[in-house]
Amino acid sequence: MLVLLALAVLITYLWSLPKPWHPDTRTAAELARQIVLPLYMGFLLPVICLGYASAAIADERTGETLVYLLTTNIPRPLVYLSKYAAALLLTLGMTLGGLAALCLVPGKIGLEALGIFWTVTACATAAYVGLFLLFSAWVRRATFLALAYALMIETLTGNIPGVVKRITVSFYAKSWLYESGEPIDLAPGGVVLGLFDPVTAATAQWVLGLASVGFVALGMWIFSRKEYD
Amino acid sequence: MNTESRVTTTLAEMRNVSKWFGPVMALNGVNLEIGSGITGLVGPNGAGKTTLLRLLTGQIKTSLGGIDVCGRDAWSARAKDHIGLCPFGDATWDELSGRKLMRVTAGMRGFTGAEARRRAESVLETVGMAKRADRPVRTYSKGMRQRIKLGQALVHDPDLLVLDEPLNGVDPVGCEELNDLFRTLAAQGKAVLVSSHILHEMDQLADRILFICRGKLLASGSLAEIRDMLDDHPLKVRISCGSPRCIAPQLLMLESVKSVSIEPPSDLLLEVQNPSRFYAEFGEFAAGNDAQVQRLKATDTSTEAVFDYLMERAARPE
Repeated sequence: MLVLLALAVLITYLWSLPKPWHPDTRTAAELARQIVLPLYMGFLLPVICLGYASAAIADERTGETLVYLLTTNIPRPLVYLSKYAAALLLTLGMTLGGLAALCLVPGKIGLEALGIFWTVTACATAAYVGLFLLFSAWVRRATFLALAYALMIETLTGNIPGVVKRITVSFYAKSWLYESGEPIDLAPGGVVLGLFDPVTAATAQWVLGLASVGFVALGMWIFSRKEYD
Repeated sequence: MNTESRVTTTLAEMRNVSKWFGPVMALNGVNLEIGSGITGLVGPNGAGKTTLLRLLTGQIKTSLGGIDVCGRDAWSARAKDHIGLCPFGDATWDELSGRKLMRVTAGMRGFTGAEARRRAESVLETVGMAKRADRPVRTYSKGMRQRIKLGQALVHDPDLLVLDEPLNGVDPVGCEELNDLFRTLAAQGKAVLVSSHILHEMDQLADRILFICRGKLLASGSLAEIRDMLDDHPLKVRISCGSPRCIAPQLLMLESVKSVSIEPPSDLLLEVQNPSRFYAEFGEFAAGNDAQVQRLKATDTSTEAVFDYLMERAARPE
């Protein structure tokens, strides 16, 4: 995970250097549109989240240490909630830290982008961690399922026109960003935006919040009933 | 087959418990009580021992029937207050030191600060790991891991201790130390359930034994009681005496003696139908005759022998 982040920071640094074909100083809007949105929000964020959250319970299963958690006097839903809290804290540290590193590499222009992205990143992290931890409670090889989800559903479905992409977390994160990023003209123009058909930021916030709570509640329900081998 | 010896204080009870995984029936209508003292759980591979232990420790739910531990449903978190489990696998959080692992385990049981430290130290002392507790668990030998796992099971002072092959990988001296520890815990009124495939371990250790095969409880009770009930397998008794040829005909006159064979130079091998009656009759006989008995030993009262008889009986068509 740290290697991926370091690679992203390197790419951002190289991108920010003045080039013969682009001698002008980079702007916050360019940083947001060319680096943070596609590279970070579209790829790194779900990958970091799945890396930590999908392993939280699945690793205890494969490592045969889950038995110690299942035989304590802590009710199973609380065990799950503790796992969620721990995974969320760890992942938030990585996602927000990674975002900050990515935004601050090009200098001052990144501060503006960071101000726009950090709340969306935090909320999307909460939703992703809830979803991937749910996978972890549900199946043994949760990382494969989470990876398939991130690549197939979030990346492919999230980029096709129509309403299907509304099942993805990234759709709501982007919708929110397009509205909050108006000062730097973050949203794409005309037809592209029409095809994307974003919801309002308020709707996106509600959906992300409810999805996070829903994923955690469903995960608690599964974890408290499932018989693990 | 349940013998009449009832457990003194019932700490765990299984009522008509069945468990199946898809089409496979792992346990079939098991009724048992576990009380204070050491109870051995014996059965071949695939008999249902692990399923029984997992049910008892609330890791899985019954398909039919109910399990109570200290009056609470085994699946509930409250029941787990009373259960300490030492699982079969070696896995634990290897990156921690033994001491840290014990404190974390105490923390998971709701003990914090000084109390968690006190319990951790006390348990490390009990399992004989206090001096080696600062090393990471990953550097421990198999025997040391067993001790640490046992410590994890004991840290909250449970009423029911469930041990899955606890002596696996422990050296003979360590085995004796741990057996002494189990006896001490049992003497404190705790219920210690020990699963083992090494049958002779149970001969001296267990107060009661549960024989399980193909998901059914074949017999439960003390070894002697179960042996007495195996009518179709007369007890074999070896007697060493001064004049075996003289006393053999007289022994044959005893009602409980089914057959006598002479094993030169000085042994007699008896087949006895009713062991308790035989011991009474033989006592009178030895006192009234100059039999010069040097040794008397039942040769098939071990856990292994009883287990073989039970398996044989179970394999027979109804």
